[in-house]
Amino acid sequence: MEGKVIVITSGKGGVGKTTATSSIGAALALEGKRVAIVDMDIGLRNLDVVMGLENRIVFNIVDVVQGKCKISQAAIRDRRIENLFLIPASQSDNKDVLTTSGVERVAKQLRKEFDYVIMDSPAGIEKGFENSIVGANEALVICTPDVSAVRDADRVIGLLYSRSLTPKLIVNRIEPARVERGEMLSHEDVLDVLSIDLAGLVPMDEHVLISSNTGTPLVLQNDSKAGQAFKRIARRLNGEADLPIEAPNHKTSMWNKISKTFGFKK
Amino acid sequence: MLSRLLRRFTGQKPSKDAAKKRLQFSLIYDKLEVNDTTLTDLQNDIVSVISNYFEIDKDSFELKVKRDDNVSALVFNTPILHVKRKKCLTKSVL
Repeated sequence: MEGKVIVITSGKGGVGKTTATSSIGAALALEGKRVAIVDMDIGLRNLDVVMGLENRIVFNIVDVVQGKCKISQAAIRDRRIENLFLIPASQSDNKDVLTTSGVERVAKQLRKEFDYVIMDSPAGIEKGFENSIVGANEALVICTPDVSAVRDADRVIGLLYSRSLTPKLIVNRIEPARVERGEMLSHEDVLDVLSIDLAGLVPMDEHVLISSNTGTPLVLQNDSKAGQAFKRIARRLNGEADLPIEAPNHKTSMWNKISKTFGFKK
Repeated sequence: MLSRLLRRFTGQKPSKDAAKKRLQFSLIYDKLEVNDTTLTDLQNDIVSVISNYFEIDKDSFELKVKRDDNVSALVFNTPILHVKRKKCLTKSVL
């Protein structure tokens, strides 16, 4: 049976695409699937350092598309998580070295060899974005609860629809305390605005920066709330569609409970 | 906590409400940003339909996207020179 190609995209940069891609990919591998993560951000590769595989790069996705090497030569095997592979981006080339037809061909080959192929799209909606969605059968859009990220997400959702892809949304970096104070859009607000199905909700988590500092997978840290949220997203993608989506909540202190009871809500 | 209490006394709304409202309007507005050829095609289509019923001044019609606080509307304004069939209007707004 052929695998699935899932593109993870956002429009806006810096909303957590790379973290989401590496975490969801790793979580799917932990579920026992054979996973290839492909860094499509040509010229600005980052997945390799985030995943801690930067010292093992020999070939990259451009080499694969140009026929300079086989997929098996470019795919770096993760030594901590079985069945997890990374095909890195090239660092020197510009985005024009890839053709959509070439990427589509390679995506088809990858589907034969892996259960899941996760494409990490570059920011923006130019050629690199087109290349990363051309071979995809599913799409995830990620945004943070701020006006610029949500607006860009809407634009990207429109573009994906026009390519017959029905994306699902991940809302990242939710800060429950600020949502409660009315300082941050809640995920309900974001869904209201975007009218799209939800794939999952991910809270703001200090572990994300720490795990990228050391290049260790976030999903292996049981005390990371974001890591656990990405794991649940992966399970939903991997057949458990009904796994409930939990809204991140913050602990209610004694003072809050008392003040709520007496009507002067915090 | 203090900020919330303050807001309560001053009647200020949470900033996320403003964010949501602004987003909703900008997204509608973004989608209405159509290119010139689409707009010209639309104009021609509207003119041809209206011309079935009214004789209009084709040089002074205008088609624009109007944005108010609560609604966005497509406004088509044209002076009517003659009525071709039984119907009386001086200005038609679509």
